Amino acid sequence: MNLLHNPEFGDKLVTLMAAFVLVLQIAMVGQRSLVMNIRLFAAQSLLLGAIAGSIAWYNHAPHIFIAAGMTVLLKGILVPIVLERLVDRIDIHHEIAPIVNTPLSIIISGALTLVAYLVGESFYHPEAGAGSLGHNTLSVAISVFLIGFFMMINRRKALSQVLALLTLENGIFLAATCLTYGMPLIVELGVFFDVLVAVLVLGILMYRIRESFESMDVSKLRRLRG
Amino acid sequence: MTVLFTAGLIAYLAGAVAGIAGVRAPRRARIGAFSFALVGALLEIVAAIGALAQGGVTAWTLPSGVPLFSWAIRVNALSAYFNLTLGILAAAVSIYSFGYVRAMEGRRNIGVLGCFYNILLLSLTLVFVAGNAFFFLVAWEVMALAAWALVSFEHEKARTRRAGMLFLIMSHAGSGLLLVGFLILARASGSLDFATFHHAASALPAWQQGAVFLLFFLGFGVKAGVVPLHVWLPEAHPVSPSNISALMSGIVIKTGIYGMALVFFDFFDAPPAWAGILVLGAGVLSALLGVLYALMEHDLKRLLAYHSIENIGIILIGFGAAMVFRALGHPAMAGVALIAGLYHTLNHAIFKSLLFLGAGSVHYSTGTRNMEEMGGLIRPMPVTALCFLIGAVAISGLPPLNGFVSEWLTYQALLAGFGSTQTLTRVIFPIAGALLALTAALAAACFVKAFGISFLALPRSENAAQAHEAPLSMRLGMGFLAAGCVALGLGATWFLPVFDPITEQLIGVRASSALTAANGFAISAGAPHAGTVSTVGIAAMLVLLSALPALFWLVWGRAGRRATGPTWDCGLPGLTADNEYTATGFSKPFRMIFSALYRPRREIQAEYEVSPYYPTAIRFESEIEPSFEKRMYDPLRGWLYRMAGRMRSVQAGSIHAYLAYIFVALLALLLFGVRG
Repeated sequence: MNLLHNPEFGDKLVTLMAAFVLVLQIAMVGQRSLVMNIRLFAAQSLLLGAIAGSIAWYNHAPHIFIAAGMTVLLKGILVPIVLERLVDRIDIHHEIAPIVNTPLSIIISGALTLVAYLVGESFYHPEAGAGSLGHNTLSVAISVFLIGFFMMINRRKALSQVLALLTLENGIFLAATCLTYGMPLIVELGVFFDVLVAVLVLGILMYRIRESFESMDVSKLRRLRG
Repeated sequence: MTVLFTAGLIAYLAGAVAGIAGVRAPRRARIGAFSFALVGALLEIVAAIGALAQGGVTAWTLPSGVPLFSWAIRVNALSAYFNLTLGILAAAVSIYSFGYVRAMEGRRNIGVLGCFYNILLLSLTLVFVAGNAFFFLVAWEVMALAAWALVSFEHEKARTRRAGMLFLIMSHAGSGLLLVGFLILARASGSLDFATFHHAASALPAWQQGAVFLLFFLGFGVKAGVVPLHVWLPEAHPVSPSNISALMSGIVIKTGIYGMALVFFDFFDAPPAWAGILVLGAGVLSALLGVLYALMEHDLKRLLAYHSIENIGIILIGFGAAMVFRALGHPAMAGVALIAGLYHTLNHAIFKSLLFLGAGSVHYSTGTRNMEEMGGLIRPMPVTALCFLIGAVAISGLPPLNGFVSEWLTYQALLAGFGSTQTLTRVIFPIAGALLALTAALAAACFVKAFGISFLALPRSENAAQAHEAPLSMRLGMGFLAAGCVALGLGATWFLPVFDPITEQLIGVRASSALTAANGFAISAGAPHAGTVSTVGIAAMLVLLSALPALFWLVWGRAGRRATGPTWDCGLPGLTADNEYTATGFSKPFRMIFSALYRPRREIQAEYEVSPYYPTAIRFESEIEPSFEKRMYDPLRGWLYRMAGRMRSVQAGSIHAYLAYIFVALLALLLFGVRG
């Protein structure tokens, strides 16, 4: 009955949602459609906003609400809309062409999750009295980060790389929120600003790459080498 | 004093803004930038004099806005002395620039020149007062970049761009060495603050001491232009506008000397004896090779640039002797040697900038830097010629001007080394003294050439014949420095006490009272059986002796008969400028004596119609081999290119590869962190 005020339940809820974040991340690795990828990212961001909101609620840290709201607004709504319009405007193939094929990619993602748990375990010291919240979510956050990084390497198109970068950033946000119960607001704002600017700049850059190379394939940037 | 100092810095900043604001209004940019620079320089002079008079250390911190670092300013006797040198030069050069830069109006971007000129002055001031390693390196790099921008000012010429690039590359290599040196010291002392570096280097293990010494000596040696790290200097100094050359040779290379003084005497308690001998040896080598290469130059500004290398060598001889004396435990003699080095720093700054400004005036009115196209300039440009002559006498180390005093003190220090007990110094010091004497003699020969070929006899070209005197502001700037040469020569006994706070700060002795012990007009070297000299006395004798022929004429000659006849022309009718002694001809004996060094190559082609005894035209070409470039830098560059070529396979140019590098490094670090 008193679930709304039970911090233990809050921890479990957050851990569950974090697990879904990871599931969405791996789904993105497996999903070949670009538009679908963007929607998965939007869902992941919304989930992340919900995580931040729950942490704010159960730990009575109202300033995290601002971070949660901005996550939902920016990464859950604004950035996906911008990216989808970009896909329409520059009329690229709606298919992601990964370098490593999809089954192998998913296996690698699994391996990276293992590595992340290995790393995350080493930060877990229950005897020091740390909350259990950091335990699983940190590992999840590191997995999201590593898988995001792997996606960035694995994809040829600049747009899908931007998407990977954004999921990578989601991993960082998850780690920061879970471990510290919210960084100072100014840092959060800085990070959001960074993401926004990065998307804008990369959007412009993509036009340029397309103009110069008539393709979105960043492998062709190799031609720039002197 | 801190107020004056800060006001000076603000004036420089205002000058930079005035320059950049006036990019479209050259006249306003010129007057604004150089007026602010002049005001800033005068404020800094007053602040520096105040600091020297007050003594001790004044330190304060500007808010940095960057965590872990602070803009710590520390004004002590040494930095005040270098700031005084900078202020004097900056004032004179700024006055000179009003007229000099005016001729560029409409042709060049004066706003940019004025902006970087002020930034250079600002960063130089900060280099001398930076109180921690971080601030020092920031100021050092800003200085290098501003100097690069000014050197590359006439960037439409490929040669200028190449010189600027060479300067930038060598400067950065030097900064890299400095950075490592500072980091070693910072690890030992636990802070980046210069105050904690005091004698910190001597607490290190012996091999680290050696490493720190070499890193700083090479790092600062690049900026100072010590042979064999000098190759950028004769390229970069001549290609910039002459007011910039004056600053480059006068004070920018002295930042290397400042750094060495800081490291060798403040960071080290007493550096190892081999270090002193190394500095002494490098000094002798730089002095000798600098003057020998200068002798072969016909480009007036390149000649002066090589002389900068020579004079840096003379300064280092003083420093090296001071280090050896300290290592052997003769603080009083170390004081004399250190004063010699520091005094020569100021003197060289003044007479070298004077000479560069003189060369600039000549270039201004004849449009050439090649001495073979000058000649006879003393008639149209008497003031420039007189100023250049004063500078030439000073740099040749002739009494009674300032160059003589500091070189004499250097000799005295070297001779005093003969009296010390160690066999090694008993051998090395006299040899160094003899080579220094050779250097001074060659320098005198070189300036006989420079002055004689450029200013005397008949004009060698149309441009030289139509030369005109430089405008008033340029003459004022040169006159200011020429007066400085005379004052620092004649007033040496009154100036020497200025060094007391510096030597006390660096090596804990006050040496000037021993030097001025004789009486108010004479300097006597502090050692037993040392010499005594009076520049005032020499000057008085010079005046009297030159009055003597007039006296003879008054007594005996007035009644005599006067005969006027033509110059002996070997029977060829009509002497023209073609019959004059050329600079190449003048330096021929030296080219032959030192041919082992120069490896001269010459080519003579004679054209004739009837018989080779009646040539119609002779083409003569002569050049010397640039040994350091050919034997040291060319192989080094080739090796660098080869290594860079191998490194390129890593630089695949593929974003995926770069990302993969980062990813693998990240994973490896994470796993390493988990295991550890």
